[in-house]
Amino acid sequence: MTAAPVTAAAPFPETKSSDKPRVFASPLARRIAADRNIVLDRITGSGPHGRILRRDVESAAIAPIAQTTAAQAETLQAGTIQQGDSYLVANSQMRKAIASRLQDSKQQAPHFYLTVDCVIDNLLEARKALNVKAAEGIKISVNDMIIRAAAMALIAVPEANASWEGENTRLFRHADIAMAVAIDGGLITPIVWAAEQKGLAALSQVTADLAARARDGKLAASEYTGGSFTISNLGMFGVREFAAVINPPHGCILAVGAGEQRPIVIDGNLAVATVMSVTLSADHRAVDGAVGARWLQAFKGFVENPVTMLL
Amino acid sequence: MTDTQFDIAVIGGGPGGYVAAIRAAQLGLKPVVIERENLGGICLNWGCIPTKALLRAAELRHSIDEMADFGIMVGEVKVDLAAVVKRSRKVAGRLSMGVKHLLKKNKVTVIAAEAKLGAAKGGLRQINLSNGDMVSAKHVIIATGARARALPNIEADGKTILTYREAMVPETMPESLIIVGSGAIGSEFASFYHDMGVKVTLVEALERILPVEDEDVSAFVQKSFEKRGITIMTGVKLQAVTSDANGVQASIEGHDKSLQASRMILAVGITGNTENLGLETTKIKVDRGHIVTDQWGATGEAGIYAIGDVTGPPWLAHKASHEGIICVERITGQKDVHAIGAGAVPGCTYCRPQVASVGMTEAAAKQAGHDLKIGQFPFAGNGKAIALGDDGGFVKTIFDAKTGELLGAHMVGPEVTELIQGYAIARTLEATEAELMATIFPHPTLSEAMHESVLDAYDRAIHF
Repeated sequence: MTAAPVTAAAPFPETKSSDKPRVFASPLARRIAADRNIVLDRITGSGPHGRILRRDVESAAIAPIAQTTAAQAETLQAGTIQQGDSYLVANSQMRKAIASRLQDSKQQAPHFYLTVDCVIDNLLEARKALNVKAAEGIKISVNDMIIRAAAMALIAVPEANASWEGENTRLFRHADIAMAVAIDGGLITPIVWAAEQKGLAALSQVTADLAARARDGKLAASEYTGGSFTISNLGMFGVREFAAVINPPHGCILAVGAGEQRPIVIDGNLAVATVMSVTLSADHRAVDGAVGARWLQAFKGFVENPVTMLL
Repeated sequence: MTDTQFDIAVIGGGPGGYVAAIRAAQLGLKPVVIERENLGGICLNWGCIPTKALLRAAELRHSIDEMADFGIMVGEVKVDLAAVVKRSRKVAGRLSMGVKHLLKKNKVTVIAAEAKLGAAKGGLRQINLSNGDMVSAKHVIIATGARARALPNIEADGKTILTYREAMVPETMPESLIIVGSGAIGSEFASFYHDMGVKVTLVEALERILPVEDEDVSAFVQKSFEKRGITIMTGVKLQAVTSDANGVQASIEGHDKSLQASRMILAVGITGNTENLGLETTKIKVDRGHIVTDQWGATGEAGIYAIGDVTGPPWLAHKASHEGIICVERITGQKDVHAIGAGAVPGCTYCRPQVASVGMTEAAAKQAGHDLKIGQFPFAGNGKAIALGDDGGFVKTIFDAKTGELLGAHMVGPEVTELIQGYAIARTLEATEAELMATIFPHPTLSEAMHESVLDAYDRAIHF
């Protein structure tokens, strides 16, 4: 056996006291964090007195190198960029649920897509007028009016309010409309039950409450399970139009784009109007093309003549 | 009765129920405990505690046989069985009185009655009592415990075929005994009765005794039992059992010869006390004799919770107590309440040799896909164990090779039931092998074997 090399005695390195506040974390949490390149001081601990535990590190789906540190910035400037530099983020339960549900939907539900343009100048004006008259604290949004129009259209064309169940097709008596809300790390679809029975004032209160609690993670499972139809609105991001993946077990999802001024032709003359494009994705097993088209026609009718949906 | 309205009603005053009630009182709630029999439940009256008193008597009896090795000469030894049992009952009685005192000190109302769930009205659940009264509470915790499970083809008559309850108050010692089931209860009775001079046969349907423990531990206990003269039969199923004044005969599937003994003890598990609680009027689900709950004890019915043996495994008193505490803390919205994690409940068996474990067995850890570092250290290499004259057994530790997490610890040997909490604390604090190695274990103690086992997992054991 060869002797281990013995180095000459060196003075012990001085222990430096750091100004940084001590991070309380379990040894196991520290080791896992180091292994996955996760910075501990950005994690909130769930243990006693905020101590960071293994579960906190594992559920920290935060981007460990999202904000480049000074040291990294230096290396980048020096031009030593590593090829394929990347890192892994553990998938949260929500991420996995989204992945599996939407994958099932795209693989099993034969999607088809129908797009129409809706002139919404009347709707915008009606909204303005309603909000002037509305009680203190109530502010009706364009989205509320879209939900209302969709709900009325589902009652007018009940065949579109359907869900494929193999042996049977389920037809819903009410417009139970799920609205997609983006939250940290994913999205959730709380449901406005029997939306057709809610006036715009009531609707706006329900949607504001659901959206706020969705963002705080305070929804009960029963509030986002079920429903008959989904609305996904990306208009606020300036998206002109898009096609959404059906949210099972629903038969249809409506993708709403931005309302924007566009040139249109009326009676052979060019004019400017505020136009919103919407795309209906439908599950062809439960909803046929003509049914989807009739639904869109009804929806467009309500949106373009908002007085009719106020009845 | 003056008070009929409470914040929390706890049905059952065992280690789950009375602990939940005391925690509720500490948090400023008004709790009531409804108990039909004895405060302290099975654990204290007919389980953990009285059996430990019996096993202590057996251990002392056994130690007399070894006195000569220590240079102590002992004359004729006699065992007064009635006095052994009487002491065990006295111990149980003293502790039950202690629980009564604790509940009184915490101003917990105690009602001696059976309870049945009634209607829910205005946020209050009504509970009908067997004494004709009615109480109501905002929250109800069912902590009714469990009883011995029966086998379809064997009926316990309490005289020749016994459950744990009769087995711990014998009036005479049988000449021979068949014990069916080799879990903690069966193995403890096997050890006790054998030390008291009874010819014991331990029968297990699975392939090894103490089937929930690590395979190395099962093998060690089996060898040790057999060396003492206990007959062990594993992988056998009893077919038909008959009993008469002379004793009990049991035929075994696939065997020509039948087993015969003066008595038989059934220790084949437990079933929850879910009857006569009025569960059928609620949305509470019962699965194979146990109430289904989430990790916080919530049942399918709002405002009704269940904890301890009436719910899912492991069926251990300390798990019931912990569940009682987190259930009450959850109800009252306390901060930093966490459900019991997988493998966090240690298990102890007080046969000779003692067995204790926490976390995953080697097989379970492998199945879970971990790369393992495994250490094992025998008490034969531990000075204190040798001085005690009790150096059989070992400590086995299982680490995740990548993270250093202590996945499991398994011990068999002297006083290991008192040692296991060291590893339980390490797991709760999420210590890795590095902290366990850096901890100074006092010399000379049995706990040094715990240190050495950790060192051995990383090929650094000093004394082996």
